Amino acid sequence: MSASLDKNTRVLDLSMGWAGPLAGQMLAEMGAEVIKIEDTHYFDWWRGSLSMAAPEMQPIERSAPHNTANRGKLGVTLDLLHPRGVELVKRMVARADVLVENYSAGVMKRFGLDYPVLAPLNPRLIMLSMPSFGYGGPESGFRGYGNTVEAVAGVTGLTRYHDNDQPYTLSNALGDPVSGLTGTFAVLAALHERDRTGKGQWIELAQVEGVIPMLAEPMLEYQLTGEIQKPRGNRRPDYAPHGIYRCAGDEAWIAIAAETDSQWRALTDALGLAHLRDDERFADRARRKRNEDALDAELARAIVARAVEEIVPALSAAGVYAAPVNSAPAVLGDPQLAQREYFVPIERAVVGTHLYPGAVVRTPATPAVQGVAAPLLGEHNAVVFRDLLGMSDKEIAELEAAGVIGSAPREYRKVS
Amino acid sequence: MRYNVLSDIKVVDLTHFMAGPYATKLLSDYGAQVIKVEPPAGEGGRHAGFRTHSGNHADRGPLFAFLNTNKLGITLDLKHERGRALMMELLRDADLLVENFAPGTLVRLGLDPDEILARFPRLSIVSISNFGQGGGEKDGLLNDLTLYARGGWTFPVGEPAREPLTPPGSLIQYVGGLYGAIGAMQAILARNHRAAGGQHVDISLLEAAVATMIYETVSFQYSGVLRSRAGRRFAIGPFLIATMKCRDGYAGLQNVTDKQFEGLCDLMERRELISDPRFSTALKRMTNNDALLEIVADFFLKHDRAWLYHEGQRRAVVLAPIPSVAEVLEWEQTRARNFFETIEDPVLGSLRIPGASLRFGSNRPEPTRPAPRLGEHNREVLGRLGIGATGLETLAKDRVIVGAP
Repeated sequence: MSASLDKNTRVLDLSMGWAGPLAGQMLAEMGAEVIKIEDTHYFDWWRGSLSMAAPEMQPIERSAPHNTANRGKLGVTLDLLHPRGVELVKRMVARADVLVENYSAGVMKRFGLDYPVLAPLNPRLIMLSMPSFGYGGPESGFRGYGNTVEAVAGVTGLTRYHDNDQPYTLSNALGDPVSGLTGTFAVLAALHERDRTGKGQWIELAQVEGVIPMLAEPMLEYQLTGEIQKPRGNRRPDYAPHGIYRCAGDEAWIAIAAETDSQWRALTDALGLAHLRDDERFADRARRKRNEDALDAELARAIVARAVEEIVPALSAAGVYAAPVNSAPAVLGDPQLAQREYFVPIERAVVGTHLYPGAVVRTPATPAVQGVAAPLLGEHNAVVFRDLLGMSDKEIAELEAAGVIGSAPREYRKVS
Repeated sequence: MRYNVLSDIKVVDLTHFMAGPYATKLLSDYGAQVIKVEPPAGEGGRHAGFRTHSGNHADRGPLFAFLNTNKLGITLDLKHERGRALMMELLRDADLLVENFAPGTLVRLGLDPDEILARFPRLSIVSISNFGQGGGEKDGLLNDLTLYARGGWTFPVGEPAREPLTPPGSLIQYVGGLYGAIGAMQAILARNHRAAGGQHVDISLLEAAVATMIYETVSFQYSGVLRSRAGRRFAIGPFLIATMKCRDGYAGLQNVTDKQFEGLCDLMERRELISDPRFSTALKRMTNNDALLEIVADFFLKHDRAWLYHEGQRRAVVLAPIPSVAEVLEWEQTRARNFFETIEDPVLGSLRIPGASLRFGSNRPEPTRPAPRLGEHNREVLGRLGIGATGLETLAKDRVIVGAP
């Protein structure tokens, strides 16, 4: 069976971290040929981030997030501050369909690789730029990462316990995956438009503008009432219980929500808490909410010695919202994910075999291309420059000698 | 704003509440013709989320008003034979059917996906559900709280000595909507290059949560280190990523590289820290993270967010204020870029809604159309199927449709 994208779709991925690389990785899953372009002086910064287990070692090939976000790609290196490097990117652009980059606004122009330069080389080129703050506006060119994008979009301000002012950053650098997904959708939409018109285009995604829509509701609430939504912590404004409670064992927690009277009765029955079911303070929805502190204290006491793996199924069977608060090993062992064969084992040089999150979009007639490891630094220099650009072995060796390409890190040199 | 990138795509939209409507909003905001088909009582999302307590809001709340812009709205009682027949007529002409019911609901509504795909070979179905269309728990319950928890987003957030803190709102429903829009485009592109006719695309919100949380699952396998709650820090590592209290609120700091650390020391006018043996390498900044945090926290506390933001960015220090949603609406950057768009909602009045995240160079956007009233486009859409005024009256009398005749 073929994949979702035409197999001749070629993507140049000049991005780093997670936002841009996620788009490239998803396009590879859909069947595109994705060529990740790095600089041996300035490689993907995840290659440079230290490993928690072996912090004394610069990981280069041992970065878990890098090796996740760049699966399925070919990897080449090019010095983008060297005229030969820029020229070779242009030659690749002439043979490409899509270019993805997530530098801060203005960096591509400094390379001499902005859209007005590239479009004449290939009018069918679809170029996606995803700077944190966008092109234009007084803060264009400001730098952001997933966590600060999430913050400035308004998410972090709402991530607080109900009884404390301190905000917390989410655990997944939300700005990154949301931008990667939004960017992927953009490329697919533009490919479809090109199927109709034959023309490429430039698409701009300011990463913060991809996250802000996820807070439309509190923004509209503010406009209609003049009130800023109070941080809710683990609670909800209209019912209780809705919270996270400690269970027996080390760092074992359960998330529980029971909205209706019948869910509350089902909860108390499933856990054998007749005294709470019959407690006047919790007799209806309004009283449970009004007495939420007492309710939470009672529930915490009733649950703290129970095993999470015992009470989650009991509550779920009774029609109550319940889930374990999963840490990494629990997610990896989740039975529903296992039954759907969600995780994909991939063997990769240097690090060996691990499970990686699989394609979320399941397209049975055009299955995802999975199981291809992330490239080593410059791993596909020879094959790409020979097959795509028609260069001889001698020319490729000259590039290496001139330091334009390579497969080992060179002295760090910041370009943006 | 509405772009016309997808203007040749026709979508029949059976979605309700959030994840599904956000998927079809993405399609309609970028030009697809989306026909939202609701039961006579309206879909549940009309009454979901925050509601004002004054005025006539019987038709919709603000969440619905945002999630259903640029769509055409009709009613059809699919439990009624004529309703199902008209549904089939709509599907005959459509490229996509998008839905986010519990698995099995389409079959119960007489819209068996296998039969539909066989009958309309150009059509694809996109289904978004909690656990996916298969697996032992496909009929299980999930809400935002339990979905975040089970998917691994919640465990590492909050104070080490307290319960984990759930992420706010329904972020994960929007993530599911993004995957839905991507799945829709995959089906269209596969058909464009003749790899497939129609197909049934299956998206699980639990899998969407796990895919967007790679630090947990993959990093844990590599390092064997279980990431746990690190308070105001993202994690304890060879970096300082934290939410910091300032004189007038909070700011987020993401200080990772040596260069960024130098910039931070410069900002603090503490350049001697660059060569301080406690902090001179990333590794040392991990070992002595508490001491570093204390110094930086003390500095942030004495300054205002706006000053820190602009002076920090000038030195390539990645930091940003942590605004309230009200401040995001007034933020000069979104103002200058005209990101928010004012729409005249027929029920709620003038609203500033987040505009298009994507700016396509190929075309000029048009103003956004507000979300439809219940049955607002019955006449227009059913009229295209050849149903005239008399036919509409009969359908209304038989309660197959409700709303504007």
